[in-house]
Amino acid sequence: MIKLNPKLSQKFSYLILFLATALAIMPIMAIIFIIVKNGISVVNWEFLTSMPKNGMREGGIFPAIVGTFAIVMSTIMLTLPTGVCAAIYLNEYARDNMLTRAIKLGIVNLAGIPSVVYGLFGFGIFVMFLKLGVSIIAGALTLSIMELPVIITTSRNALNSVPYSFREASWSLGVSRWQTIRHIVLPNALPGIMTGAVLSIARISGETAPILFTAVAFYVPHLPHSMFDQVMTLPYHLYIISTQIPNMPNSIIFGTALVLLVMILTMSFIAIFVRIYFRKHRKW
Amino acid sequence: MVDKIKVDNLSCYYNRKCVLESLNINVIQNEILSIIGPSNSGKTTFLRALNRMNDLDLTYSRRGEVYLDGGSIFDISMEDLRRRIGMLFAMPTPLPMTIYENIVYAPKRLGLISKKSEQDALVERALKDASLWDEVKDRLKSSAMKMSGGQQQRLCIARILAINPEVILFDEPCSGLDPISTVKVEESMIGLKQKYTIVLVTNNVKQASRVSDRTVFFFMGKIVEIGTTDKLFVSPKEKQTEDYITGRFG
Repeated sequence: MIKLNPKLSQKFSYLILFLATALAIMPIMAIIFIIVKNGISVVNWEFLTSMPKNGMREGGIFPAIVGTFAIVMSTIMLTLPTGVCAAIYLNEYARDNMLTRAIKLGIVNLAGIPSVVYGLFGFGIFVMFLKLGVSIIAGALTLSIMELPVIITTSRNALNSVPYSFREASWSLGVSRWQTIRHIVLPNALPGIMTGAVLSIARISGETAPILFTAVAFYVPHLPHSMFDQVMTLPYHLYIISTQIPNMPNSIIFGTALVLLVMILTMSFIAIFVRIYFRKHRKW
Repeated sequence: MVDKIKVDNLSCYYNRKCVLESLNINVIQNEILSIIGPSNSGKTTFLRALNRMNDLDLTYSRRGEVYLDGGSIFDISMEDLRRRIGMLFAMPTPLPMTIYENIVYAPKRLGLISKKSEQDALVERALKDASLWDEVKDRLKSSAMKMSGGQQQRLCIARILAINPEVILFDEPCSGLDPISTVKVEESMIGLKQKYTIVLVTNNVKQASRVSDRTVFFFMGKIVEIGTTDKLFVSPKEKQTEDYITGRFG
């Protein structure tokens, strides 16, 4: 073992820590750089708002954008109310007994199930058993089941971050538990819940496996008419044009990836700004 | 001399460990009753038993009865009970909203007031009764979290007064305050005696002697001695009481 003097060991460890950080960031930068470089040339208003043409080798990605948007919005509308209610129950009402602990453990483990398993489950339950068919609603329900544990966990953390003394102060004034939740706990937990929701949206936008068997189609010549229509989505469209179509121009593949990437990064930045805004305006 | 609160053979347990043993005690209408004693003697547990704040703790259990105006406090809802028995905590606990909102928060939820004019009148009266009005009347719309500790504590008193309870429990209300703020809180306590019955838990023996009519000395979950403040401080019957109030232990 070589003994380094304190100054040298300080510099040495700094270097290692810095290199590790650089190593972590570099691939992300590389991905963004390559996608932007190769894709930026095709992305214009026309590309975003027109239907694919000539076996998807030309034209735009409008239906995929609409499909992604429809599925993501339906999912979050199903997940957010359910997830927040469950989080309130678990955090504010549930007694700490075997059952509650089992539920909490279950929620943590649900987050670890591979997404393709959710896809198959959704196919079995929603598409086949409930006869919803391959549709936006079946896909949204499948994604909801996958995203619920995440929403519940982030919402619980947000509720937990509201100091207990606020609740006690409210109770001590004769205000009921529900009114305390409604008027004190929820408003103060809302920024955290919203941040979690936006990050969930970002995550769902990029999911492919859960909607593979439940919602998406190879190609749909029209925009969805109802919740029971099949749709195209960006991640699945990207997969198809990169692997299933011969002589596909590279620029369209990278252009599609760029649109997806920008969508997700925008969501993440919104989440970050929401957090910064509320942290500044927090009253305690 | 009417008994406002009567505690009948009350025992309290945390995780089946006894922290208060067979207490019998009465609180007389419009008096200030001080509870003194070293830490861990069960003072706060006793106080929180009176407005059933302990009941939210799942490891807590109790035996015995507490009567408010002759009726058991366990027969009415916790919300109604706490409306009648207000509580001030050791640490100021303003809610994260404006001074004005802090005061109208509970009355609004309880449906005591509705009109804006009623609210304004209520805020002014509550703040005046807590001797805070002159300091904050020009900034009612600013956040309560930005006030000093002493002001926050008096705001919490005003908040309790706004729901017009019958009894007010003070749990070491001055433990985090400077001497001047302490004097102000004590002054408002003495003023409140006219209208309310007050139970005060304090670690400050001198405070008990300054403000209270009667004083109880708690030790290890039991009542050692109870009596009028004059008598207890001048000629305590028990050796332990004498040792504690003269500062020999605790």
